[in-house]
Amino acid sequence: MKGLHAVGVYHVYGDNKVLDNASLMIPAGEVVCLLGPSGSGKTTLLRLAAGLERLQRGRIVIDDEIVADKNTHVPPEHRGIGLMFQDYALFPHLNIIDNVTFGLFDQSKDKANHRAMDMLEQLGMTKHAESHPHMLSGGQQQRVALARALAPKPKVLLLDEPFSGLDTNLRGQIREDTLSVLKASGVATIMVTHDPEEAMFMADRIKILGDNGKILQAGRPHEIYYHPRHEFVAKLFGMMNRFEGVVEDGSVEIPLGLIRADSLGEGRKVEVLVRPEGVILEIDGKAGTPVDVVSTHLLGHDNLVRVRLKNDTAGEFQGKELYVRVHHTFEPELSKQITAGLDPEYAFVFPLDEHGSIAGDGFTGSQSQAAE
Amino acid sequence: MAPMARKEAWSWLNVWSIGTVLIAAAVAMPIMAVIFIGLTPSDEIWSHLAATVLPLYISTTLLLMVGVGAGTFVIGVGTAWLVSTCWFPGRRVFEWALLLPMAMPAYVIAYVYTDILEYAGPVQGLLRDMFGWTLKREYWFPEIRSLSGAISMMTLVLYPYVYLLSRAAFLEQSVCVLEASRMLGRGPWRSFFSVALPLARPAIVIGLSLVLMETLNDFGTVDFFAVSTFTLGIYDVWLNMNNVAGAAQLAGLLLFFVIFLVLIERFARHNQRFHHTTSKIRALPGYELQGWARRGAVIGCALPVVFGFALPAFVLGGYAVIHFEAATNPDVYRYAANSVLLSGLTAVLALAIGIFMAYGVRLRNEWMVKVLARFASLGYAVPGSVLAVGVLVSLGALDNGIDAFMRQTFGITTGLLFSGTIAAVTFGYLVRFLALSFGSVEASLAKITPNMDGAARSLGHGPFSTLRRIHIPLIRGSALTAAILVFVDCMKELPMTVILRPFNFHTLATYVHQFASDEQLGEASLAALAIVGFGILPVIVLSFAIIRTRPGDTEKGHTS
Repeated sequence: MKGLHAVGVYHVYGDNKVLDNASLMIPAGEVVCLLGPSGSGKTTLLRLAAGLERLQRGRIVIDDEIVADKNTHVPPEHRGIGLMFQDYALFPHLNIIDNVTFGLFDQSKDKANHRAMDMLEQLGMTKHAESHPHMLSGGQQQRVALARALAPKPKVLLLDEPFSGLDTNLRGQIREDTLSVLKASGVATIMVTHDPEEAMFMADRIKILGDNGKILQAGRPHEIYYHPRHEFVAKLFGMMNRFEGVVEDGSVEIPLGLIRADSLGEGRKVEVLVRPEGVILEIDGKAGTPVDVVSTHLLGHDNLVRVRLKNDTAGEFQGKELYVRVHHTFEPELSKQITAGLDPEYAFVFPLDEHGSIAGDGFTGSQSQAAE
Repeated sequence: MAPMARKEAWSWLNVWSIGTVLIAAAVAMPIMAVIFIGLTPSDEIWSHLAATVLPLYISTTLLLMVGVGAGTFVIGVGTAWLVSTCWFPGRRVFEWALLLPMAMPAYVIAYVYTDILEYAGPVQGLLRDMFGWTLKREYWFPEIRSLSGAISMMTLVLYPYVYLLSRAAFLEQSVCVLEASRMLGRGPWRSFFSVALPLARPAIVIGLSLVLMETLNDFGTVDFFAVSTFTLGIYDVWLNMNNVAGAAQLAGLLLFFVIFLVLIERFARHNQRFHHTTSKIRALPGYELQGWARRGAVIGCALPVVFGFALPAFVLGGYAVIHFEAATNPDVYRYAANSVLLSGLTAVLALAIGIFMAYGVRLRNEWMVKVLARFASLGYAVPGSVLAVGVLVSLGALDNGIDAFMRQTFGITTGLLFSGTIAAVTFGYLVRFLALSFGSVEASLAKITPNMDGAARSLGHGPFSTLRRIHIPLIRGSALTAAILVFVDCMKELPMTVILRPFNFHTLATYVHQFASDEQLGEASLAALAIVGFGILPVIVLSFAIIRTRPGDTEKGHTS
């Protein structure tokens, strides 16, 4: 199979177990994002794939060729991997064109220059060919680094936090340009990031890493967002409204409404997480539970509204505050009676153990994901 | 692709680890020989030494180190900061002029100042004439041939090590971090102490440790001033008492000082792994000094140059004119050629080996390579006299071994292949000066982020190609610095050359030493000036080179 395949990778630095039986597969032509907090070993995984770090246990295969296992360590220069660093690592003593042709040493100078200019053209950087790296802005440096990594036509491209050094205004444009260049090249790409929004934008597939490189969930962005199989995954995309409850008759009841929980055992204690856009506010509505508006914040397209459940709400939830994301045209202060209902698509149920913490048994396991 | 793959079990076996092992073994040989002799039981000399002179050796040596260390730190760092960040008249001149004393061997400056400042010299004579004194006890005048005299002499000629390394470190610092510090409300002075100085600490510590090792090594000055340091003790026991074992035992004890210094250096460096955090590097701020600060800066930079170089050079020049006939002869030219040949050869070899080892350590982040590289760079800390014994003994043993083997196997007598040859001298120099090139190269490699290596490797370049195309261009300034330092040190080297040189073979240094210690400074003045002159030329080249290799300052576009 074309692409990169890591199987059962295990890595320790001293006493720190960074990766424990991590596996993943990146087919050619796809952009896969490794999304995880710092310490989840995602950068280590990249370095192992690139050969900059020696594999301790497991196997790494690129285009059906074992590049690292117990007996093998193909040095990075023979792996045919492109790598783009967070700090870009442009060579300060070489100008842009020399930076980009650096990996094209086995071609004639004309051919190399042609290829390099072609890459720079795609990224709109031709007029800076003779500049030195320090003369460029962060966004321009990022483009050069991408051109340099792609110029030798790598089998796999690894991007380590490629946009983290850029300011937000630039990011959108550069993300888009980067994505179109990646798609045009058809290279298997792994991008490491801690920014969920970035992963959603860039990825064909997202792999969420927890501790020790365990993959908590893998799937298309839609799947990750709408069907998180782990509480951690659900919480990645910002604040959540959290409730606790018990499964009765295959459902959990929270003040906002009923949620199906068929797969979980009857009488099981569960946690319900509702995205802010999963709370439906209605003026003078009949369904749902009555709430008071605490504050509203205009975020542009959306309004972020903080509401409080009325004091006559049943049980432990009275006075609980909720975050709600609504269209900006919704103006709650004008109305008298507001109710909060539920869009079940944005509500997720996870089991709790008897102590009230998240149960260890999973919806996902690294083993099951490894086979994916 | 399979042939590229390496068996993991044999991964330690590669050109870097084998090379480092061989270098370390060769360099360790003389030190080991000394330790071996030192540990061999001998007569009663050891307990005798311990009971009599040892406490004096230890206290004198410590005082000398503290004095020279403090002096070179203040002068070296202070002047480096002034010329790299402030604007005052003559700054451009001081930038390179401050390096000049490096060309002066401590023993030469000691001969000169003794000549000027002793009782019969011009200064005291002038004072007596002015005030009508006639007897020595009628007035107080500092005794030059004393511990404080030795501290002054060594400080004056050794501070450029600290200056050079800290200046390079200040220049490599990004103005952005300094501006960040000032934006956070810290003035120039506090920025210096809280940002610039800590950032430059690895370089300063290296500079200071080099200075202190040089201090321990000095023989010419302490001998002439009769300051009872360890090194002088070793010579005394070895040459006057003719007891090699006693000398080696003293040397073993001296090694503790050295190991202590090396540990301090390593520890300081271990805690300071800096990479540039910003790619925005612009010229340093250039504080415009006014009033007293301006005058103070000029005087502060001028004094070390005047006393460390200009005055002694002027005196030597005067002697050279007076004694011109006696001082010029074909022999002197031959000795000069010998010096240049030996020093140049050693500088090139030391740089090549230093780069090899420092890059090997970076590449193979393994304890064995690291430890061996550390070990191979211990030679610089070992006083030349001790190394000379070690080189003599170990090369003698090697020669005898080869001779015996060749006779047994082929019936050929090879005799002494290495002992008493230029190769032996070069080997001695290399053992001593390898640390200089290795340390500088390693320090500047540490400033290149490992991502550079990663980028080059992932773009298909192997370790050698990466070294040639990325690291060497990036460390060019420091590498040149290292080679120059080695060259100048070899030109000045005295204690080993005296003992290891082939029969009837002179360098400028041994020639000057021979005449000056016979109080014939006049005859030797031209040769002494020649040593100084050879030292100056590369120093000037070096000064321009560090300005040019400013990161982020590719062409002539100096913005400030």
